[in-house]
Amino acid sequence: MQRRAFLLSGAVLSGGVAGCAPSDAPPGRVVVPFWFTYGGRNRATLQTLVTRFNQAQREIWVRAVFQGDYFEGLAKLRTALAAGAAPPLSHVVGEVVPYLAEAGVLEPLDDYPGARSLPLHPALGQAGSFRGGAERSLVAVPFNRSTPIAYVNQRLFAEQSATPDTWQTLSEVARALTKPGRFGFGCPIDWWYWAALVGQAGGEVVEPNGRISLGDEAGVRALSLWQSLVAAGVMKQPPGRDYNAWEQLSQDFLAGRVAMIWSSTAFVRYLEETADFPVRALPLPRGVRGAVPTGGTHFVLLKSAPSELKSAAWRFVRFLLEPESAAFWSSETGYLPVTTEAAQLLQSRGFYARHPNYRVALDQLAVAQPWPWSKTLFRIQREVVQPGLEAAVLEKRDPSRAMAEARRLAQESLH
Amino acid sequence: MIGERGVRRWALGAALLAALVWLFPYAWMLLTSFKTPQELLKAPTALPTSLGFSAYAEVFRALPVARYAALTTVMALSIAALQIAVALPAAYALAKLDFRLRGAAFALLLSALLIPAELRFVPTFTLFSALGLVNTLPALVLPFAVSAFGTFLLRQALLSVPNSLIEAARLDGASELYIVYRVLPPILAPSLMAFFLVSFVHHWNDYFWPLVMTVDDTVRTLPLGIALLREQGSGVRWHIIMAGSTLLSLPALGLFAFSQKYLMRGLGSGVG
Amino acid sequence: MKPTRPSEPWWLLAPMLGALAVFFVYPLLSALRTSFYEWDLLTAPRFIGLGNYRAIFSSGELFASLGTTLLVSVVVVAGSLVLGLGLALAVNRPGRLAALARSAVFSAYVVSWVSVGLLFLWIFDADAGVVNQLLSAAGIGKVKWLTSTRMAPLTVALIVLWKVTGYAMVVFLSGLSGLPPEMQEAAALDGAGPFARLRHVTLPLLRPTAAFVATTSLIASFQLFDVVRLLTQGGPVRSTTVLVYAIYEQLFRDLRVGRASSLVVVFFLVLSALTWLKLRAFRSQEPV
Repeated sequence: MQRRAFLLSGAVLSGGVAGCAPSDAPPGRVVVPFWFTYGGRNRATLQTLVTRFNQAQREIWVRAVFQGDYFEGLAKLRTALAAGAAPPLSHVVGEVVPYLAEAGVLEPLDDYPGARSLPLHPALGQAGSFRGGAERSLVAVPFNRSTPIAYVNQRLFAEQSATPDTWQTLSEVARALTKPGRFGFGCPIDWWYWAALVGQAGGEVVEPNGRISLGDEAGVRALSLWQSLVAAGVMKQPPGRDYNAWEQLSQDFLAGRVAMIWSSTAFVRYLEETADFPVRALPLPRGVRGAVPTGGTHFVLLKSAPSELKSAAWRFVRFLLEPESAAFWSSETGYLPVTTEAAQLLQSRGFYARHPNYRVALDQLAVAQPWPWSKTLFRIQREVVQPGLEAAVLEKRDPSRAMAEARRLAQESLH
Repeated sequence: MIGERGVRRWALGAALLAALVWLFPYAWMLLTSFKTPQELLKAPTALPTSLGFSAYAEVFRALPVARYAALTTVMALSIAALQIAVALPAAYALAKLDFRLRGAAFALLLSALLIPAELRFVPTFTLFSALGLVNTLPALVLPFAVSAFGTFLLRQALLSVPNSLIEAARLDGASELYIVYRVLPPILAPSLMAFFLVSFVHHWNDYFWPLVMTVDDTVRTLPLGIALLREQGSGVRWHIIMAGSTLLSLPALGLFAFSQKYLMRGLGSGVG
Repeated sequence: MKPTRPSEPWWLLAPMLGALAVFFVYPLLSALRTSFYEWDLLTAPRFIGLGNYRAIFSSGELFASLGTTLLVSVVVVAGSLVLGLGLALAVNRPGRLAALARSAVFSAYVVSWVSVGLLFLWIFDADAGVVNQLLSAAGIGKVKWLTSTRMAPLTVALIVLWKVTGYAMVVFLSGLSGLPPEMQEAAALDGAGPFARLRHVTLPLLRPTAAFVATTSLIASFQLFDVVRLLTQGGPVRSTTVLVYAIYEQLFRDLRVGRASSLVVVFFLVLSALTWLKLRAFRSQEPV
């Protein structure tokens, strides 16, 4: 009977297919699923490192699973945690670490072999990335870390002589470089760059006493800077949400439609290789002070996994932090070298001499600002500030009112 | 007043315009998939200079296309088979048997239309979490056991099956189950075919349910995989995305070409 | 026909009823219950009474997403009725062109939303997309199809229309084929031209068909998710956040299960109300 044949073959197939889940691991090894959210070229680089690790030893097989972008991946991680289906190892953006830690889902790492003596760059480890991060249990270890930097189309940039090292000169350069059909400056209307501006204006997103100030006056000044540049017609705000906007801006930059952009150091390799003009990286300008947030993600181990998997995952993390691996990752992608040893290795090989653009973010770490250890930071970013910034710039809302509204919503979202 | 001939010309014109509007996007998708990144950046509307399949190669390199496709097929087959198995007896009861509360049962089925998958996923997700079934094939199949559309379709078809046929089978000693699963299906073949095709295609293409019910790629379906091609990190690669899109459309279009009549008839006959 | 045993119908209906109970009734009741709690799936739920409902009303989130959904559905329902009927009339004839048009239009219904979404994301790309390239070559200038808060919902509606018109067309074709030709012939003999025949004979007879198309288009447009997720992620500035997308974001982006559930409950009530209104409206207009 036709239908019964369907059902039977379906059952057999599904048993077969589901059973032969993607496991190309040689038998006898501990399989460690690692959920990652690097796309494109960085994905290939990660896969290279995974393969190196898998071939360098015989006990563990890391299976890297692509989960989309940071936010998709985070959503899947949280739902997987709720469903009891979480992997032992993944990586998450800094802003969400406090939330996950307070929710009790992250494995404390202090007692893992070598955890206390990792030669991490002071600004990039948990201690440096979060205010008060050193006093807390270690739960996050950096791997792909970044700061925002500016990229200029050197050919167009040479048409004028100023350097965008202050807010004032930034506006001047933007104006000078704007021509019909071309914007002088472009920046995604994104929390990250706003946080940078807030820091440069002397403010803090969350005060040390825990009050969610969103920078108070500094937050307003940050927003107004963008609005005034857009109003003057010298700044392009790329369309699209989240990283779609960053991508769009890269395309505009490469096509010569925008002369100077703010983006992540993570794009340096891609931009240098794809552009048909010389690309130069510059640090972000100073306001009353220099300030940049750090970005990228931290490795986290999930408590719910069996300890065998967690130990194996930790061995993989240690491997990635070895100087060769960390230097390879940094030089292939543009992310920062997270250990001092890796940075020294790159320096001694003359890498920075040949690729000065890669140094910009590293040097900028001198003014890196830590994030507050606040479990609502992530919610505030995604639910309040990000949409608020988009709306304020796109619809030309009054910045003081927009920020006051955002502050109010942020307070409310505390419950 | 436009006469008969005018109407005919207008109709043909409209048909031509429709064909263009509905075929152009596919053509564009295909053309884009043959381009190189440089061509895309510099001359997005020009024709590709050559029939390059490198984008397709990249899709196969980036995703385990065959595995995703196989899994999607198994899932869709299972759903269609399950739905038919559940709908046949239900349609028979609703169409052929007189019993009290038949109207109520029918109304209950009707109201299922008001509770689409998008409304059901939150509690179903938590239910499956508690049972440890998230990220498994049953989570993708079981929630679709009932197809209101399909049940209506079969009921409609059964209404025109003469009762005498069924009574004769009963007299011959056939059990009701035998009648439902052995006697009626051959008679209902066209409707069953339409039911199967509509359900299979619909669930093969489903994006939402697998998106919310899976957390990694253990049981990832092809639509999810192709959607992931929109990844960040090195520029939006339209030629690759369009290649993926083309690959994703091929099975549905192939099935459609093969079974057009059934699909159209099946959907059209859903009307009262 | 009489059942062989009084319990027979219920045995036959049991699988359907069981599945309905577990996968339809239970989820709805469960959503109702969860809507009174605050829960992030990782920590214990906390009872907050009507807090979620208050929040979705006062924050404007409910009205915004409801409004967006209604806007899109109006375009989709009206469009699918007009286009569906128009195309059905145009292709309801023999000949290869008509057949080609039928297949082409209906094929859009058969492919995945993922394919359609990615395809139109490219076609409507603000800079390099073919539509804007052609527009700027023609001197009209580029349109912010998906990046302006005003255009984005309309663009989404248009894309949905492209995909679902085929279904409406097929239903109307079926309806047309069920019309008795005698009435048309009689009217023609009476001297009525094609338009008059359309207005006075065909359309009234097609009212039930139109009702069906309108209802299914309405329900379908309330279920929109894929296209929004792929093209705009609800933006820019939430202008394309339809109801289902709002629910998805509450759950997956914000991990607010209770609030997502409250949106589900409201969604169900709205959908039921609309369907009930639709049915009443068309029943009262039944041709005598």
